[in-house]
Amino acid sequence: MRSGLQLLVNGFASGCATALLAVAFQLVYLPTGVFFVAIAAIYAVAPFLLMSAVSRGIPVWLGIAFSVTSCAVLALLTEWASHGRLSKLGASSTVHLVASLGNYILLVQLIAIVWGNNPFTIRAGLDTTAHMGTVVVTGTQLTMIVVALIVLGGMFLLLLRSNIGLRLRALAENPMQFALHGFNANSYRLIAFGLSGSLAAAASLVTANDVGFNANSGLSPFLVAVVAVITAGRRSLIAPVVGALMLGILRAQVAWVWSSRWQDAVTFGLLVVVLLIWPEGILAGKSRVEAST
Amino acid sequence: MNYALHILVYFEIYAIFALSLNLVVGYCGLFTLSHAGYFAIGAYTYAILSVSKGFAFLPATLAGCLIAGIGSLAVSLFAWRFRGDTFVVATLAVQAVIFSTLNNWFSVSDPVGSFSNLTNGPYGISAIPHTRVWGYSTDSAIAMLVIGGVLLCVCLFCFQRLLASPWGRLVRAMRDDELAARSLGKNTRLVKVQAIGIACVTAAIAGSLYAAHVRYIDPSLASFNENILVLAMLVVGGTGNLRGPLVGAALLTCMPEVLRLIAFPDALSANIRLLVYGLTLSILMHTRPQGVAGEYRLQ
Repeated sequence: MRSGLQLLVNGFASGCATALLAVAFQLVYLPTGVFFVAIAAIYAVAPFLLMSAVSRGIPVWLGIAFSVTSCAVLALLTEWASHGRLSKLGASSTVHLVASLGNYILLVQLIAIVWGNNPFTIRAGLDTTAHMGTVVVTGTQLTMIVVALIVLGGMFLLLLRSNIGLRLRALAENPMQFALHGFNANSYRLIAFGLSGSLAAAASLVTANDVGFNANSGLSPFLVAVVAVITAGRRSLIAPVVGALMLGILRAQVAWVWSSRWQDAVTFGLLVVVLLIWPEGILAGKSRVEAST
Repeated sequence: MNYALHILVYFEIYAIFALSLNLVVGYCGLFTLSHAGYFAIGAYTYAILSVSKGFAFLPATLAGCLIAGIGSLAVSLFAWRFRGDTFVVATLAVQAVIFSTLNNWFSVSDPVGSFSNLTNGPYGISAIPHTRVWGYSTDSAIAMLVIGGVLLCVCLFCFQRLLASPWGRLVRAMRDDELAARSLGKNTRLVKVQAIGIACVTAAIAGSLYAAHVRYIDPSLASFNENILVLAMLVVGGTGNLRGPLVGAALLTCMPEVLRLIAFPDALSANIRLLVYGLTLSILMHTRPQGVAGEYRLQ
């Protein structure tokens, strides 16, 4: 019973970090249709930026702000230099995907050239722990959960209650009609990319505090986040959060029952099963996928 | 001299690999990220059978082709139902499952190739015996070059004949307008199964050749990065004809050698090579999405 609860908490904490990244991916994918692989590189660079800032004597809170802002700027740059231009050329989704893959490789190699290929850690020494009944929660896990709740809460307030959010959702529904109503679709695309970059940075910083980071550490969490999006439902902003939490708990169970080595196999195996049974995602309404592809 | 021969053998291996991917991406219009998995299946089948059972090159390669052909149904099943991003993610899942299986199917206490230690996990399989073809051991680079050359020519000939046939026209028709092809009574599902099956079998041939030449393999053969490498070859060279993959394989096999002429620090050379790949992919998508020598623009 105790181990079951403990696993639930562990899974929930890692699911929170995945949820941040899943929403970051979805924020670009829904309104623009861009499969934003380069966000994995933006995720990877965030802790390096914080580490560099702190090592130059900048306070941690300012370093975090610097890292999050820089990641948002980096995401904006990829839109300005790559996807925005490709969209004007009428490029297909596959062309966007390949370009984003190219951007990902480019950014990751730049990170490796600047900071090296070695792994780093942000946290020094042992983590603090808190006992909640029979369950032990580490300080890092608590940070993950609190940060995810605050950031996602703020993001959903923005998306569901503000004009910007309404327009981003309108852009996702029908970009052509959105532009015909006089809105500048390009500026809203930029907003989507900027928000996505900053969310990815938040996800990365809370995870780096737990497990460390290196230049290539973005791809694996990115793929798990994509699985969360696809399994839960691609047409929603909230479904990926549920998907990420489910995946987090499932992966924690797999690590406990079998081995952490099988986590990825089970994660992607689940994706295969879901795609075969619920092509639109577990939480999506029923519709034939051929209609939308 | 030996080094130059090595590079040529690598070119042959990757040309076959890129040709196989071209059939799916360039002719069927299905963008797949699982192809390295089938390359690895070919390499592992060859390695396991030659190390533990003493199989020669041809029977081990044929066994690899058989397994890859059956495994290709995993991708075909998704190709029936999906296109675009969903298909890409589905193939990524297939790749991840293959990679995890190769990486985790091991037990340190048992011999390599036994059921409990089939792949030797992250340690890979080393000391793969020299290739034997009809009883002759081919332990020189020239012999590998000849075998690779023969296989490349056979693959090119088969692809050329297949794609010039009515079946090849049907594949292109399906790529350009699947609904129209179906409305003409064509069984596009069967064509997808056939095309993906042929592509995966060809990738397995390239994998066998790789294992026979390098004589050491590990699960990184099925990794995402290996997918990116062959995809970069195809995208750079071009899709939709037989020239593109050859040009792409030649360019990306030679690129590290050209970069070697520039005196980069050794520690950075691998990163710079990958950086150039990434930059090339990104720039080509803006300037020439059909690649240097291709005909088909990625859809």
